[in-house]
Order: sequence, then C-alpha cells, then structure tokens
Amino acid sequence: MCYNTHMNIIETSRRKFLQGSVSLCIYATSALSSPWQTTKTSNKKTTDTPYLCNMCRNKCAGYARVENGLITKLNPNHNFPKSRNMLCPKGNAGIQAIYDEDRLKYPLIRIGNRGDGQYKRATWDEAYEYIKEKLVKIIDEQKDNRSTIAYCNGEGFNKDEYIKFFGSKLGSANFLDEGSICLNTKLGATQLTIGDVGEMDVAGSDYMIISGANRYESLITPDSVDMIHSKQKLVVLDPRCTVTAIKADEYLPLYPGTDLAFCLSMMYIAFKEELYDKKYVNEQFDDFEKLKAHILSQKYTPEWAESKTHIPSQKIEKITREFFAASNPLYYLGRRSVWSQNDFQLRRAMVLINALAGSVNRKGGIIFGQPIKLNDEEINEPLYNNAEGRFDLDGIVYGSQKGGSWLNFREKVVSKTAPYPVKAMFIRKHNLMQNMPNIAKTKKMLEMMDLVVVLDTMPSDTAMMADVILPECTYLEREDMVVSFNRLEPSLALRNQVIESLYESRSMQDILKGLGKKLSVPLFHVSAKYDEDLQDSIKEDGLHKAFVEGGYDMAELYGYNTTQRNKRLITKQFGKEVYNSLKEKGVWYPYMDEQKELFNDFYEYYPPEKRFYTIDKKYRVNAYLKKLEKAGFDAMPTWHKYYDFNLHEDEFRVITGRYVTTTQSATANNVMLKDFEKENYLWINNNNAKRLGIKTGDSVVVMSSVSSIVIKANPTNKIAPNVLWIPHGFGIDSQEMTNAYAKGASDNMIIEDKFEKIYGCATMHETNVTLRKL
Amino acid sequence: MARYGMALDYKNCINCKACEVACKEENGVELGAEKHRIWVGGNNPEGAWPLLDMASASFLPSQCQQCDDAPCQEVCPTHATYYDENGVVRVDADKCILCSYCMNACPYDARYVDERTMTVDKCTFCSDTRLARGETTTACQNTCPTKVRTFGDLDDPESEISELLRTRDHFSLKAHLGTKPKLFYLT
Repeated sequence: MCYNTHMNIIETSRRKFLQGSVSLCIYATSALSSPWQTTKTSNKKTTDTPYLCNMCRNKCAGYARVENGLITKLNPNHNFPKSRNMLCPKGNAGIQAIYDEDRLKYPLIRIGNRGDGQYKRATWDEAYEYIKEKLVKIIDEQKDNRSTIAYCNGEGFNKDEYIKFFGSKLGSANFLDEGSICLNTKLGATQLTIGDVGEMDVAGSDYMIISGANRYESLITPDSVDMIHSKQKLVVLDPRCTVTAIKADEYLPLYPGTDLAFCLSMMYIAFKEELYDKKYVNEQFDDFEKLKAHILSQKYTPEWAESKTHIPSQKIEKITREFFAASNPLYYLGRRSVWSQNDFQLRRAMVLINALAGSVNRKGGIIFGQPIKLNDEEINEPLYNNAEGRFDLDGIVYGSQKGGSWLNFREKVVSKTAPYPVKAMFIRKHNLMQNMPNIAKTKKMLEMMDLVVVLDTMPSDTAMMADVILPECTYLEREDMVVSFNRLEPSLALRNQVIESLYESRSMQDILKGLGKKLSVPLFHVSAKYDEDLQDSIKEDGLHKAFVEGGYDMAELYGYNTTQRNKRLITKQFGKEVYNSLKEKGVWYPYMDEQKELFNDFYEYYPPEKRFYTIDKKYRVNAYLKKLEKAGFDAMPTWHKYYDFNLHEDEFRVITGRYVTTTQSATANNVMLKDFEKENYLWINNNNAKRLGIKTGDSVVVMSSVSSIVIKANPTNKIAPNVLWIPHGFGIDSQEMTNAYAKGASDNMIIEDKFEKIYGCATMHETNVTLRKL
Repeated sequence: MARYGMALDYKNCINCKACEVACKEENGVELGAEKHRIWVGGNNPEGAWPLLDMASASFLPSQCQQCDDAPCQEVCPTHATYYDENGVVRVDADKCILCSYCMNACPYDARYVDERTMTVDKCTFCSDTRLARGETTTACQNTCPTKVRTFGDLDDPESEISELLRTRDHFSLKAHLGTKPKLFYLT
C-alpha cells in the first residue's frame, strides 16, 4: 500500500501528511509488535499528581493519572504559565518511557569488552565498591589531581546539584554539558552584546523573523504556542521547507550558513534608510558609529545578500522595512545547535538588529524580566591544592566556564595534548556516542579511560561503553528540587513523585548519596597523602575535625531526602502556602488567583500590566567587542569569502534537525513515538535525486571525510539543491535498545568534528559529502 | 443528554501528533502506525525549490466525523454501531463481527480494526473514559498545543462550540454526501 506524492487531496483518508509517500510505505509494512500496550483509562475519578515532564528540555507541567499503581495517562497542567496547558506527543508518550522493557533496571558491571554489551548484574553496594577501588587508584596515581575525573550531564534538571557533587565536593574542574553542542553561541552573543541572556517575548511581538529555528517541529514552550495565538507576521528563513516555514506568512528559502548575509543586509538597509530607532540608539549603544561605518563600507547591499543567500533583493528590502516599521519586531535568536564558523557573529547580528529596532527590554523584544530567585543550599567545599584547572577552553576566546567545549576537550584527550591525563568519566543523561560529531572519536576517548560510569535510564550507546552502569529512575518516579522558570511571567514549579521507582532504579540524589558515603573517606585519605594544607589541618585539628570542617563529606547535601529539602527550602523562603501550591498544583506564581480562561482551555496567566516587559536595569549595547579584535577575530559581524555556499555539482552539504516526535536520541526506543518514525529518511532535493537516479525509499551511501552511512532517501521539493537533511536521533548501535537498534542512520557518524573558536561549539552544518545509490 | 460536536480551528494545526498520542494513551488504542482514531492529513507545497507555492500546503486534522446520518451505522448488520444518548457514534464490541461493512461505508476512512478486541473501532469522543468521569474535554482537545479543537454540546446555545459556530464560518468534510457531520472546520 503505497501512495504517490502527487496525490492532491488526501485530507479525509487515514494517510499521514509527513514526508509524502515515504513514511506511508513504511507504515503499511511495519506493524510494531511490542508486548507493552496502552492501557485504557477507566471511568473512575482519581486524584492526579502534578509533575514536570522530562521528555525534552522544556519541562512542561502535567498531571499524572494513576490507576492500580500504574500510570495510565498524562494530562497537561493548566496552572503553569510556561507550558500553557499543553503536552506534546513526546510528553504524552512519557508513559512508554517509564514502562519501556529495555530500561536499565539494576546496577551493572562490565564483563566483556567496551561496547559489546556484556554486563553482570550487581548490587548497588558492589557497584559503588567497584567505582571506589578504581577511583582511589586513579586519584592516587594522579597525585590527588581531582580533575583527572571528568564529569558531564546533558540534562537541565539536577545539573547544578550534580556539579556540586563532582565539582565542589569531589573537586574536578572538568565539567562538560550540552551547551557546546547546542546553543552557547546564542547565549554568549546575547550576554556580550546586551549584558544578559534575556528571554524572547514571542507573544508580545507583532513581527517576527526566524532563521532556521524550527519552532513547530522542535517545540519550545511557550514560544511555539504563542506563535500560533499571536497575530504577528511570521517570516521564516530556512534551506528546508519545515512545518514552521509552511505556517509562516512568508517563507524565504536560502542556502545553509548564509543567514548572516541576510542579517548584514538588514543592517545595511536600516543604516542606509535610517530605519533604526534613533532615540534608543542614542541612549543605549556603544560604538554605534563604528558599526554603521563598518556595515556601510562593506557594502552589504540587498543585491550582495541575494548573491549569497538566494533570497531576492527586493524581498530583503521589503522585509527589512516592514521589520523596522513594526511596533514590536523581534528577530528570534534561535535555540538549537550551532551551524558554522560564523555562528557567534550571526547570533550577535540578530541581537544587534533587535537593538537597532529598540526591541530590547520592552514588550515583544528581548526582555530581561525578573526571574524568581531561589536560595541556594550552601555546602562546605573542600579545597584541593593538587586539582588542576580545565583545559578545554585553551584557544577559545570566551567559552562557557560552566559547560566548557566538548570537541576541544575530546580532541585534547584523544591526541594526548591535555596538560594531564583524564582517566575517568561520570556521564549522566548525556549520550556522548550519539550527540557529537565524529562518533568514532568519542569511542576512542572513552576507550582511553580507566573508568567510565554512566547514570541513565536507558541502555544507550554510551551506556554500552561504561564499566559501571547505575540505573537512574525516570522523572515520574522521583521528586526533584524546585525550579524557577522564566522571566516575563516567572513561576516556580515542582516535579512531584508520581509512583515508586521501578526495579532497583534510584534518583540521582540517592545515587550520589550512596556514592558519597562510599567515596568520601577513602578519597580523603588520598588527599591526606598529597595535600600539604590538609596534612597541616590534620596535624592541628585531628583527622575527624579536618574531615568534617574541611567539607570532605561528599554526601553532605543528602542528610535529608529531596522532599524534606524542598519543604525546608520553599517554606523558609516563600512560606507554607507556596509550598502547598507546589505540592498540590505543581506550580506557584504570584498572580495565580487571577489566572483566567481566555478561550477553550487556553489561559491568561499574568495580567498584562504585571508582566516584566521592562525592568529598571542599566545596560549598554556593545556593537564592538574589543576582546575579539585582540584575539584576532571580527569585533563586529563580518562576512568572509569562506562562508559562501559554493559547492561542486556532486557535493552536498549536510544539515541536521529532528522530527517533532523525537528528542535527540533520548526518545529513540519509545514504542509509541516509533510508530511515527521507525527510521529516519534523508531529504534530498528532488531534482538532484532525479539526476542521480534516486527514488523514494532507495538506500543511498553518504560519505564524508570522517565516515559513511547508509540511509533511505526521501526526494523532496522542500529542500535546497545540494543540501541533505538528516533527522537526528537514529542509527542507534546499542542492541539493548530493541526498538531503535540499527534503524536508520546517525548524522554524527559522518559530520566532521569542527568547532568555532569563540565559544568552542561544534559546527554541525559544515560537512560536505558525496553520495551514491547503494 | 447532549448532542456532542467538535469545531476545529484547523489552520492552527501544526501536525505535531500530540492529539494522536493522547488519544491512544487515554483510550488504550492498540499500538501500530495504522491503528489510530485521529490523524492529520494535508498537502505538501507544490513547485520547485525555491519557488514553492506555500498556499498549496496545509494540514487537516481528522477523525470520525460523528455524522448525524452515519453510513457506518446504517450498514452495520448486527447493530454493533449505534448512537449513544449524546449522539456519539459508538461500537458495541460484543456485537461486532468484523464484517468490515462500516469500514467500506465510511467516507472518511475513520474506522480501523483493533486486533486485540476484534472490533472495528473508532473515535468515541472519549465517551467511556473522560466523559464518563464527568470531564468536559476530550484527550485530543485537552493536550493540543495550539488548541485546535473545541468540544461541546451543540444543543446548548451557551456552549463555547455553539458560540463559535454562530460567529465563525465553517465547513464540513464531504458535505455533499449528506452525512451531516458533527465536526466543523472553522475558516
């Protein structure tokens, strides 16, 4: 049963729109057979538990329905300003993540070779004991240089607490997170240009331009929801005709990596025609004249931009004029992986365009707002004299001091050019074997370790490289520490525990508590061997006092469980009512009583006059960054010849993205979501495909300088010629992930590991490949 | 007693599949890509990149149209397909003999076989789950990020759906067939 793509009206049939005929062929032949089935909810009323979703980074609020101990349904929580009473397909399919039969159930210790999946079941104590023995040996060998233990976390929740354990308590400087394979250039560009990372007020904007951020397939709350309900004009630039492009008022197809040319030209037109907000510019800009002179002298005319982007010059002029004429224009800064070498300056150009329009610290622009500050739980941090600093920001101009640069780190480890050896890694919810370019190199890095410990819920490709696997419970099986959300309509939200944790899985807090109890004393003795200051204080105060007062008890934070900690923290800072609201409704914000339904289950949260559109804050717009000039980089956004999209006829540029039903590789095994996309399909321009004799569903070999993959093709008119789109999150290599194993191909197998030098971010869209039909 | 209907602000649909998953989880719909009560159809843009005709691209959320004059009910030889007291087209699993007449008769292709219960199943407006518990929304409506659907009693002039149908233009799918759907697409 295969339907052809030329079919005009398919609206009343049971067909899927998505990808034309490709998925249809698959659907027809792939009845998924899983022992797990959905459970129909009953006609009985239940008291549902408020929770926060964890299927992606958004953390939307929901209510979980439990019947006979089984979670039967997840529903949206209408109390939460951020998620606007919705749950996406992934949020709804969270049930299948809890009851996934492939879940990590028990602690495991490796008995085979790394990657071959041979493990033996262990008790928690055996696992901790194994880790302790290895760690004591490693840290002893490295003479108490705690930074020999690298640790990473790709999950927003609990991240700071994880850092407290391995950074503050264990003493390692080498923390890595997803920022350098995600959006650090955007955060940095905003911070450095206007002094704060801010938040984009999508709902308040009457004219919005989006470059490449696919907000209707990569949902971000509340942005994706607000885009639909606001009456703004939406302009979308993308090499690929995404759902966001389809829903836009104007779609401007362009070549990959050329968005900066469009932005430069917008600035050129704004300066030439004096469209910018003169009052704002006079009051807030530093080095405005420098920027103006630079843009005009470089002659970034609309005609010039057309030659780079493929967007007609008249269109660029029209959009620019409309943008600056709008009351509350917003150039959406994006929220996704870094594309190319020019990414930092691209994001900066977007910030500058907003600033030129005066769209900073006001409705519909980049707002600073007023987040609710949560008090920190203070801990006693030991000082380790022999712990060395991080090295992954060497050669990076700014970089994130928090999450570092993954590709620079990996490169230095693998090439043995790091100032000291990294011998162990603790990896939590961070699928290193899928999430960064050039998977072979990640494998090499992990193979060099004396100890790899993975904390996760699923037997991912990365878990299969671990010596010890510690099963974490999923988000519905634990209470997490309260979190503060957003700036314009700030709120607190709490992830309450819905059911007891399954199997022998434990929360991160419980895992760290156990680990802390096992490690604290033995590692303290290693320090006592090498650390002269510690030796002095032992002499002076005795062993016990030196240990306690020095802060060496790694489990210090875990004297109380998370529920007790939350109660103490929230009650002390905000009072009992706030705590009760968080327990009963999952949410608290100041104007909850005034929340009102606007229509059909859609609510207004903060009354408009109470929103923090504009706050009293001193800031400057930095048009010129001297530090960049000194480091030999552009101080202002500038085009360079090598940014040009200029490929040989047989060459293709790889770009990535994801389906609406996937969260990177984290949802790869979800049996419900697999129904939508069993494997990924390579988008190739239909005319390119015709020339190469490639038809829908044909397997093609895609080759880069790094490696090659085999993937099925989806020829389509929705992508630029000589550009290939590979949806991320497929090609899973772990045989323990039975729904995902060997389905489709992984983009990161072939993406070259290049990174830009301003923030050390992996540039995902700079790999050129060739391809042929298999 | 009510006469339930649904209005769909279909231009707000972003084809995100949230409704489909919520429906499956709520109603215990069998897994498998062909086993679904709701789905989104539509059209790709025509033309060649970069000259795509964006006006030709669309998404159309669809499900059982809850016809007042339902062909599936009419052809059912065992009266397994019936109207409940709220005008919702339902199926009695005990009476269904899998003859598939209803599947052929339905002009909207809204019925599918549940191989566990051996029933030609369909959308029930969550009648035996959410509505039975006294809730006033369907799973698909409730979860929708863009709130495409408005569900309610067509006989109640004060209901949000009645208000919408009074104030907004709308159409029905395949209206010429005379099935009198209770799903209304707002324009």
